Amino acid sequence: MNDSELEKLLKAAPGPDLSPDYRQAFAEKVLGNLRSSPVHRTPPRSWGPRLVWTLATVGCVLLAFWIGRWHGRAETGQDILTNSKVIHETLAMFPHRVRAIVSDQHGINLVLSDADNVPASPPIYVRISDGKNLSSMVTFSGQEIQIDGQKLTVLAEEDGGIILEGKGVLWSNGKAILAAKNMQIQARTIAAGVM
Amino acid sequence: MADTDEELQWIAQSRNGDHAAFGELIRKHQQMIHTLTFRMTGSVADCQDVAQEAFVRAYQQLDSFQGTAKFSSWLYRIAVNACLDWRRREQRRERLLHDWSLEAAGQFASDGGGADGGELSREVQAALMKLPAKQRAAIVLTVYGDQNHAEAAKALNCSEATVSWRVFAARRKLKKLLGKHGGTHE
Repeated sequence: MNDSELEKLLKAAPGPDLSPDYRQAFAEKVLGNLRSSPVHRTPPRSWGPRLVWTLATVGCVLLAFWIGRWHGRAETGQDILTNSKVIHETLAMFPHRVRAIVSDQHGINLVLSDADNVPASPPIYVRISDGKNLSSMVTFSGQEIQIDGQKLTVLAEEDGGIILEGKGVLWSNGKAILAAKNMQIQARTIAAGVM
Repeated sequence: MADTDEELQWIAQSRNGDHAAFGELIRKHQQMIHTLTFRMTGSVADCQDVAQEAFVRAYQQLDSFQGTAKFSSWLYRIAVNACLDWRRREQRRERLLHDWSLEAAGQFASDGGGADGGELSREVQAALMKLPAKQRAAIVLTVYGDQNHAEAAKALNCSEATVSWRVFAARRKLKKLLGKHGGTHE
């Protein structure tokens, strides 16, 4: 079954058939609720404080990473990405906001979402080399990552397999189905037990 | 399609507390919202309750509708979040809910689809109910709500890539569950 056949099948299933009486009564019922209980209008959300909060937290975390690196000199970006304690604490500090912790030639970067909308899923370790640059990161299923201008979506399968897909790149379970010859990819789920 | 002048007028009047105008908005969108809440809850009683809650929330939040998106998309967003909130409240009764969903799907099917449609509706609804709530929301928005991934991402307050992943995962499960209904298997 392909996607369009599935969509056709889903749409062919009859939905709720509302009787005319129910339709008429429904609107009255909602309006009755509005009349019987005082309605508090919620003013539009202001994004200013949220943005400031996000920028401030990003700054704090970058500073924390920088201090951590300065303090423990020998600990490289690679070490941090495999340090389950650091990752665990970072995730706990920003629940559902951490999109990726990236280590590349520029150092360590924490990529945060501006809303707590990153679904809970096991962290995925990804290492990509294009022959010149090496990037490694911890990210999550469904997140889009960017490696040297190339956007890739990281997807985890139920059986533990990992898929990376982007323009001209499709990599699955350790095998490059479509990728530049010099692109080398490693990816694995970091087991919950390790975290 | 953009909102009609008439609809924009109802929205403006509703903002000023005109319940009759809001009633018109309810009547215009109630079928769409009931379809969404039924696909999300799988239960007749719950779909009606959540639809009602969605419209009350919409009235309360009317001031936040800025007209940059279609009113129906904005309403969808409120309804899908009402469904997800309902899902959280009901999580403890998941097993029971599943049984209700099968019963409810049969009930609607017998109203609307004839013998074949009834069986199909029951199976489709049962398959939808086997999806995690967020994957179900992504499928409901994109298939039944005809929203693209960007619109669904706004409704679900997540990234487009997350929606794409949820749709991808949901489709894969649905194909497995509904595979016997034909088509060439991948």
